[in-house]
Amino acid sequence: MTKKSAYRDLFPGALEMMILQTLSRRPMHGYALAQHIKQISDDLLQVEEGSLYPALQRMLKTGWLESEMGVSAKGRPVRIFKVTAAGKQHLEKEISSFEQMFAGISRVLLIAGS
Amino acid sequence: MRWFKQLFTRRRRYDELSQSIREHLEEKIEDLVDDGMSREKAEQTARRAFGNLTLVEERSREVWQWPAWESFWANLKYAQRQLWRNPGFTVTVVFTLALSIGANTAIFSVVNALMLKSLPYPHPERMGTIYTRVTGVRAWDERHKLTYEQWQLLRDDVPALLSAVSGSRTSGVNLEAGSHVQYLQAGRISAHYLDVLDVQPALGRNFTDLEDRAHGPNTAILSYSLWRNTFGSNPNVLGQAVLLKGAPYTVVGVLSERTITPLNADIYTSLQLGPEGEGSGTNVEAITRLRDGANWQEADAEINRAWSHRAHRYELNDDPSAQVTYHSVPLQKGVTATLRPQALALMLATGFILLIACANLAGLTLVRVLRRSPEFATRLALGASRWQIQKQLWVENLLLALLGGTAGVAVGFVALRGLLQLLPQHYLPVAKITLDGRVLMFTLLISLLTSVLFGMFPALAMRKFRLRSAIASHSATGGDPLRLRQALIAIEVALTVLLLAASGLLIRTLIHLQTLPPGFDATGVMTARASLDDMRYHDPVTFRKLLNESTAAMRQIPGVQAAAVGLSLPYERALLNAVTISDSKEAGQHAMTDEVYITPDYFAALRIPLLAGRSLTDGDGPDTQHVAVVNQTFARKYFHGMDAVGHYVNLNASLNTRIVGVVADVAIAPGIDATAPLTGEETMYVPATQTDPQLLALVHVFFQPSWIVRTAGPIEGLTAQMQRALASADPDLPFSGFYSMRDLMAKTLATQRVEVALLSAMAALALLLSTIGIFALVANIVAQKTREIGIRIALGSTIGQAMVHIGAAGVWASTLGLILGLILCAGALRAMHSVLYGVSVYDFPTILIVVLLLGAVTLVATTVPALRVAGIDPAKTLRDE
Repeated sequence: MTKKSAYRDLFPGALEMMILQTLSRRPMHGYALAQHIKQISDDLLQVEEGSLYPALQRMLKTGWLESEMGVSAKGRPVRIFKVTAAGKQHLEKEISSFEQMFAGISRVLLIAGS
Repeated sequence: MRWFKQLFTRRRRYDELSQSIREHLEEKIEDLVDDGMSREKAEQTARRAFGNLTLVEERSREVWQWPAWESFWANLKYAQRQLWRNPGFTVTVVFTLALSIGANTAIFSVVNALMLKSLPYPHPERMGTIYTRVTGVRAWDERHKLTYEQWQLLRDDVPALLSAVSGSRTSGVNLEAGSHVQYLQAGRISAHYLDVLDVQPALGRNFTDLEDRAHGPNTAILSYSLWRNTFGSNPNVLGQAVLLKGAPYTVVGVLSERTITPLNADIYTSLQLGPEGEGSGTNVEAITRLRDGANWQEADAEINRAWSHRAHRYELNDDPSAQVTYHSVPLQKGVTATLRPQALALMLATGFILLIACANLAGLTLVRVLRRSPEFATRLALGASRWQIQKQLWVENLLLALLGGTAGVAVGFVALRGLLQLLPQHYLPVAKITLDGRVLMFTLLISLLTSVLFGMFPALAMRKFRLRSAIASHSATGGDPLRLRQALIAIEVALTVLLLAASGLLIRTLIHLQTLPPGFDATGVMTARASLDDMRYHDPVTFRKLLNESTAAMRQIPGVQAAAVGLSLPYERALLNAVTISDSKEAGQHAMTDEVYITPDYFAALRIPLLAGRSLTDGDGPDTQHVAVVNQTFARKYFHGMDAVGHYVNLNASLNTRIVGVVADVAIAPGIDATAPLTGEETMYVPATQTDPQLLALVHVFFQPSWIVRTAGPIEGLTAQMQRALASADPDLPFSGFYSMRDLMAKTLATQRVEVALLSAMAALALLLSTIGIFALVANIVAQKTREIGIRIALGSTIGQAMVHIGAAGVWASTLGLILGLILCAGALRAMHSVLYGVSVYDFPTILIVVLLLGAVTLVATTVPALRVAGIDPAKTLRDE
């Protein structure tokens, strides 16, 4: 029961991918990241914002992310998350495999449609 | 070593995490306020959008942990605090567990030593002994002693085995060392006996085949302790002659300090078995070792081939059409066979104790869990899962069980020492019994098992836990546990009834055996044994002179009324011999009888009443008519109540012996009848002076005669005077020690006493636990129903009625248990049939006492806690609501 993920509607690793993708463009703090993901996913993912944090900790532990002090848009001192070299590498790998999978699914759908 | 670094950076990680989450919320709130929301509303909205703050933080922290281990550790710390906070509960549980696990640990260590531990020899699995299986009218399957013929065939015609034989027990001998003579226990072993055990002497060598031959050279092997204590660890003793049994024996070896043999003797001599005398009967026990490359099937086939074509197959004496086969049995099983059923029965009894304890604890923990429902409700409301709470409960149970198990090891250690002190020396055929690794592992396992057994019900109750009603009613319960608790009590009471009834039957058996009319008067009698297995006493003249002079000297001791010598005493095992009835209706019948040689004063010294004819006198000498006095059983069996006096029997197949008197039966240890502990068997008393000289040497190998003194004076100082009197006849003859007849009876009934002591202890423990169980049940009902009782009393119920209302639950449970227990007894007690004497399996007085005892205990255990009802003030309880 403790393993139940709030993101279980997504395919495995989707949240990580979104976080990596977002942070690789620009390092952010937690709140900004949550807002951003909500916006770009068009509120599609009805998730609790807090659910982001266990994922962030996991990625910190794996070494894909690192954190440092920074300043928020409102000028508060906040903890900023940014992607490490290892994180970038993982993201690229994930994207390419995701694309392959997506291409595969599309082909199947195409064949099935025709 | 990343995990190691993480251990130290974790605190910082947690801080950063909390900080991030705080920032997140603050920023969100500020955003919302900027959008025009009130601060209060904004805070609420932000929190709702974020989700369960505590849970998120916990999940996020878990990333940095080894979750299973850390939550276990946290649970353990919490459990420890919980237990510390409820010392009454904790002490009760640990005490209960300590007693029940302790009992199991002690008994299991005995079972372990008897059945599981390997014998202390190399490759014990290749060691065996031989069982004889007879099917037919009288079927049996047991280790049987061997004749010389069997031994010879086993040694020469069974190549799959290395075999050896020994006398079945040690016998008392005299060893002259320096200025004085010592009474020692000698073991008589064949050549290769030590080879079968695969032990080598520390000094010297084993007996050779030549030394084992009949009339071969006299040789001896010393035990380590004898070599050290008597010979001052002198290595030059090898090759020297020592004076043993009045003859020179050459020392050929000394055993090492660690060597233990099944005989456990002080000194070993070679058996020198031949076809005559000892070897003509079944008098030796075999041990075997499988030779390299052979297997047990081959060995058994060879034994059957070798032994089935013998001239004298004594196995067929009773029933010539019986089927007789032989098979090998692991040596360990062979030497512990008689004790196994008892050890297993005790293990079963302690198993019951464990179940009873678990039933008690299940009830206690169940109540405790229900009492803690507000705590669980709060935790559930805060986001804990049911599984987390269950885990918490299991960890608490585990901690209790381990505490109990640890205390149980200590109790078991003490109990085992007490148990071993209770046992007579050399009662168990194993050198020592210890709490070894296997016993500790067993204790750990049963501790875990108990935690599962008593934790099961609370855990199940937790699954039915209703959060809503728990919060609403302040004390929600998942269903009514009273029925369940009553059922648990009933089960433990039922098991207690069984144990009580079983121990009651054993106690009645022991009382019966102890109060059996012994047939003689034991007061004022002192006895002492001496070994006449001595070259000098092979001469009948010296033998007669010794008896005459020593008894005469003892009669001179002030206060002594009678002094006599007998080959064996009442309560002891007697020599078995074959007789043929010469006349009367049973003429020609062969029979086995106990035979005791005595001096004339024997009946007077023991005050065995003469029923007919005359006693033996000094006039019955070696050259006069051979005479005998028989006991009542003998007379009844072979002369059918007719006057036996004047009839003749053939004793030792040659001499015509005239029966001159009949005496009363006395209690003796069984020889002919193997089932009863004390029997009146056919017995013949013959004059020591008329004993066949050849038989004399042989019986003194097996039996050490006893000097019997009856005194009117004080017993103190008598033993020294007896020793002096014996020394006046033979200064080189030591007594083995002095025994009153009470000592001898106690020794004969040792098995029964041990059984009674152990099973009674178990039954008492079971009763104690059941009492605690009933007490706790009622006490708890009083505590739970305080309000209800207050209302009842306020509405006009008397205190007495309220007490009955409360106590009834305990009485019902106990009554149900009693009925269940009696049904259980009806089925299970039949298994005890073979160990009961003078009492039937369904013994009304025993059952009555069990019922009364349980009734009394139930009454006390329900009344005492119910008395608290009197202290309930209805006004106060109602106000508290």
